[in-house]
Amino acid sequence: MAVVVEWLDAFAWGALVVLRVFVVALILTVIWGLIGASAKLSDSALARGVANAYTTVFRGTPELLVLLIIYFGSAVTLTGIAKMVDPSVKFIGIPPFWAGSLAISLIVGAYATETFRGAFLGVDRGQVEAARALGLSPGQTFFYVRLPQMWRLALPAFGNHMNSLIKDTALLSVIGVEEIMYAADRATAMTNKPFTMYLVVAIIYLAFVSVIIKTVAVLEVYANRHLERTR
Amino acid sequence: MNFEIALVWESLPKIVEGMGLTIELLLISLTLGTALSVVLVLMRISGIPALVWPAFLYIYVFRGTPMLVQLFIVYHGLAQFEFVRNSVLWVFLREPFWCAIIAFSLNVAAYTAEILRGGIQGVDRGLHEAGRALGLKPYQRFLHVTAPIAIRLSLPAYGNEIISLLKGTALVSLITMYDITGVARTIVARTFAPYEIFVSAAIVYLCLTWLIQRGVGLAERRFGRYVRR
Repeated sequence: MAVVVEWLDAFAWGALVVLRVFVVALILTVIWGLIGASAKLSDSALARGVANAYTTVFRGTPELLVLLIIYFGSAVTLTGIAKMVDPSVKFIGIPPFWAGSLAISLIVGAYATETFRGAFLGVDRGQVEAARALGLSPGQTFFYVRLPQMWRLALPAFGNHMNSLIKDTALLSVIGVEEIMYAADRATAMTNKPFTMYLVVAIIYLAFVSVIIKTVAVLEVYANRHLERTR
Repeated sequence: MNFEIALVWESLPKIVEGMGLTIELLLISLTLGTALSVVLVLMRISGIPALVWPAFLYIYVFRGTPMLVQLFIVYHGLAQFEFVRNSVLWVFLREPFWCAIIAFSLNVAAYTAEILRGGIQGVDRGLHEAGRALGLKPYQRFLHVTAPIAIRLSLPAYGNEIISLLKGTALVSLITMYDITGVARTIVARTFAPYEIFVSAAIVYLCLTWLIQRGVGLAERRFGRYVRR
């Protein structure tokens, strides 16, 4: 265990990177999920088609493959575009941190789309009609009527999505993000103690997941506080 | 930047060669993992603290950590111990294939146990009582009343778990194996055409996902044949 202490710094920095990726990806996930769910529930056949294609592809393709497509694909595209402007350019790519956050947010966003869709459907139609009768614009209806009522329905499943999100960050070392897996890889190369090092990684992830589970439980109590009396 | 559709057609046959390994990993770990999950869920619902707690802890740990970390602990990690390297099992444990099977099976077992537990909890209490009234013994009640219904209730989530596992098998490309993703990565390293090759690989995975969905759909119809109308 004394070996681990020497690498505590590396793991702490790695954990911080995981946390940053998590926060960025979480925000993006919510955005993709809300757009996707709205598209799936819209009257436009085109929007529904695009949203269905999105969820089918991103839920059926391995996370690792999505990550590789976005990271290496974007690099090839950006370099190609840059070469048109300035032929001397050799290589341009999205920084691994952003490519990775984008990739895992798109994956989990596909799951969130389904969750949010179900939650929006769980909000009484009468509420939306009442909002319209009061003269609220579609935007106001979305933010003041539908959103505040759907999130508590989405919460339990969304808690699982957050766990997926944090666990997917482990893949980011593959494209060179310096998170805890990366720290463990380096520590292993120096100390030749792979079991110990990856165990530390497992413990850190378990701690993150435990915090998420606890937080979601607290939020669920808060979200359902108006139902306390009826139970 | 243009997308060369010809490259997709060229690479697809090679990528399909990697499909054999992907399917092998999927089927073996699914079978072993599901078998283990039955033991786990029985422990979990047994009501005996000495059985409940280990099962709870196991499920919590394996669901709470990334599959990649689990795979690396088995593949890279176990070699740290001399007694492992000297044991008879080393013949298996030094092979990436068996390490992947072990890690995936243990992982699937945890998720499936939780799915089955949900299914068992979903069985109407009244059926239990009816079974007791008919004089069925506890194991008969479980086998003939609870289990068939619990399986039907668990099937949709189990189908998602199979798809999850299929996607998880792509991780073996990180431990030197040539599954669909592994083959795709070697072709990309040679041609540097990530879009075409990785998209081809994604197409193969989507076909497999579709097949699994169809299969589970058929199973759901079969197990639920008495529920309709």
